[in-house]
Amino acid sequence: MAQMAGVRGPAAADRLHDAQLTRRELLGAAAIGLVAAVPAIASAAGPSGQLTWGIHVSMAPTWFDPAETQGIITPFMVLYALHDAVVKPMPGTSQAPCLAETWSKNEDDKSYEFVLRRNAKFHNGDQVTAEDVKFSFERYKGAAHELMKSKVALIETPDSQRVVFKLKEAWPDFLTFYSSASGAGWVVPKKYLDKVGDEGFKQAPIGAGPYKFVSFTPGVELVLEAFEDYWRKTPSVKRLVMKVLPDEATRLAALKRGEVDIAYSVRGELAEELVKTPGLALKPVVLQAPNWIYFPEQWEPKSPWHDIRVRQAANLAIDRDGMSKALFLGYCKITNNAVVPYTFDYFWQPPEAVYDPEKAQKLMAQAGFAGGFDAGPLYCDSSYSNMAEVVVDNFAQIGIRAKLQPIERAGFVAGYSNKKYTKGIIQGASGAFGNAATRMASFVVKDGAFAYGNYPDIDELFPAQADELDHDKRSAILAKMQQLVHEKAIYAPIWQLGFLNGIGPRVGESTFGTIPGFAYTAPFEDLTLNAA
Amino acid sequence: MGRYITRRAGYCLLSLFLLSLTIFFFVRVTGDPAALLVEPGASAEDIAAIHHQFGLDRPLWVQYGLFMWTLFHGDLGQSFYYQTPVFDLYMSRLPNSLMLAAVAMIFSLIVGIPSGILASVRVGRFWDSAGKMFALLGLSLPSFWVGLVLILVFSVYLKWLPSSGAGTPLHLLMPAFALGWYFAAAHMRLTRSSMLDVLGSEYIKLARLKGLPEALVIAKHAFKNALIPVITLAGINLVIMVNVAVVVETVFAWPGIGRLLYEGITFRDFPVVQGVVLLGGAMIVLVNLLVDILYATIDPRIRLER
Repeated sequence: MAQMAGVRGPAAADRLHDAQLTRRELLGAAAIGLVAAVPAIASAAGPSGQLTWGIHVSMAPTWFDPAETQGIITPFMVLYALHDAVVKPMPGTSQAPCLAETWSKNEDDKSYEFVLRRNAKFHNGDQVTAEDVKFSFERYKGAAHELMKSKVALIETPDSQRVVFKLKEAWPDFLTFYSSASGAGWVVPKKYLDKVGDEGFKQAPIGAGPYKFVSFTPGVELVLEAFEDYWRKTPSVKRLVMKVLPDEATRLAALKRGEVDIAYSVRGELAEELVKTPGLALKPVVLQAPNWIYFPEQWEPKSPWHDIRVRQAANLAIDRDGMSKALFLGYCKITNNAVVPYTFDYFWQPPEAVYDPEKAQKLMAQAGFAGGFDAGPLYCDSSYSNMAEVVVDNFAQIGIRAKLQPIERAGFVAGYSNKKYTKGIIQGASGAFGNAATRMASFVVKDGAFAYGNYPDIDELFPAQADELDHDKRSAILAKMQQLVHEKAIYAPIWQLGFLNGIGPRVGESTFGTIPGFAYTAPFEDLTLNAA
Repeated sequence: MGRYITRRAGYCLLSLFLLSLTIFFFVRVTGDPAALLVEPGASAEDIAAIHHQFGLDRPLWVQYGLFMWTLFHGDLGQSFYYQTPVFDLYMSRLPNSLMLAAVAMIFSLIVGIPSGILASVRVGRFWDSAGKMFALLGLSLPSFWVGLVLILVFSVYLKWLPSSGAGTPLHLLMPAFALGWYFAAAHMRLTRSSMLDVLGSEYIKLARLKGLPEALVIAKHAFKNALIPVITLAGINLVIMVNVAVVVETVFAWPGIGRLLYEGITFRDFPVVQGVVLLGGAMIVLVNLLVDILYATIDPRIRLER
């Protein structure tokens, strides 16, 4: 940028000379040029300024160590700043080469080779090597670690820049898990960890990400500083402060006062207020977390839900658009795919969702329930009871009388997975990582952790897709499975949840939503401040 | 006296044992921490790994035995969420909670005692009614609402005070007010009723008959005697303020013990919940024991009656 300013200067002076300006005009023009050049000079001088976040949850030291990444998205709000992965989701792609410059797999799909970047460094100046990649995978103990380690036979490091993963058998999901469905691909420095140990690492983590660790006060804040040697680019903002502000109204107040620049999770009426506040902007993000209605009684011949027309009627009765506008200012994404997010590999796009209560009532009458029926409890995670209330109301309009049964999250998930909610209706959601196959495994096919019943025609497709190494053929099988889920109305899809955030006037590029399905700001090196 | 103290100390230990038993089992009824560390749809292996990591795959009585064993060795366990010793976490938050509680207590005494005295010497008149109204509002308005109104007025509109967090004396003002108001109301009510009791006693009548100035009767003879129950209550309230300012600390993002408890409950961090409740319980039991001993020392009838 400084070079550009230098080039622009003489050219402008020539034009000014040609126009034969007065000395005063020349001085004025020079002053304007100087002012215009200041941001460019500042940028060239390195990172500057500070951005402060109001975070909705308490950060834990386990978030500083990729080896302990559980299957939830929240730790990634920190991992993207501190660390880097061999391959990870980035703007425009779910599998972007990061620490690896390139990768390839052999013909039998049993071996993956990654070639690392020579300019990738850890915060202590050490180069990222193949040994670090191997070490990070081997010490990984977070989500899906048993699965991944059971599939990998051997990791070879032919030289310091090349890593070869040899699988026991062909596994088409290897890269999905390595790049996004686990923390196994995030790389930590072996030498440093050998020196300080696991606990020492959590106290003072060193990564290969765009920001260095400065300090952490549990329950209070995390402070990070720009790592100027980051391979992708030098971050623009010098200092990041992530403050824990658990109360939503307090986060909004802090944003309004300028105490924080970015506030995560501001919902409902508070989001409306945020929109109305001059200088603040709403930044909605669509999460990789679909919400759905599930009919666990559909496999019971005596239940009304056994009749597909009743399930179809329930689908037609849900006013998704109205609900999204009322609860999330219209920022939820209605894909009509119940359990597979649109950002996942092998996602199949169903026909558009339809809201047609009249048609729903006709279907109810055809099914012999013109007068409606008592559907029992509608179980839901209490934090999503606002959605469930609308669904209960929508169902009531076509005669399906359900009683809302909100249950605190931990209890609800335990009840859902232990298959206690056999009577009634369930409103579920999942932000679990994976692809369409992993979602089918959990929520659709026989013995799925959250499947209360199964359909043989779908079940028989499941092993077929798992064995299929050809991407297109596998995609076709998984599409067929999702199509059957849709046609049988096993679920009534609601939407992919809109996660609403706010930013203040100092924020230039916030990066919200640039990585599809990711809830938070990232990549951090792309963040910018507005010129004062 | 020695037997009395031993007996009281025994009761205290029994109370703490029962508290440990209650909190240990009740916190486990609230749900599975693994359900909050993974998304629905996570594999059974991942959930099992979390159970194993936290020792939740063992029988309950074994978990309780281990908990008591480590407790006897002065170890409250390791936080599931923070992965650090609970005692360290508690001690890191304690200074903040003590500071908040101290300021809130000073506020509650400065406001509660004079208004209680004023109400008692002006019974049935304006100041009494105003005091009652103050007490009613203090005891009935939820502290989260008071906190949010304070933030709205003093941070957002007037821009005088920071909305949340810790670090400067200004950060203390709003949470101390929100926390202290409830206790100010309680102290005002107790001061008023205690003063009314004392003002109706024979020695106060005698003092007035002797022609002492009313200010002296109230300040020297009545107030000193009426203060004893207020100070006793304030001591116990201080311990409560330190340990259970959950709502205020959450609204103002104040990094104290109340918020630690809130985080423990939110994440089903059993060791944190157990540790905070037990240490809070121990503080209350200890204060009560000291008060009992003090009373028994002052009044021998107490230890003889019991």
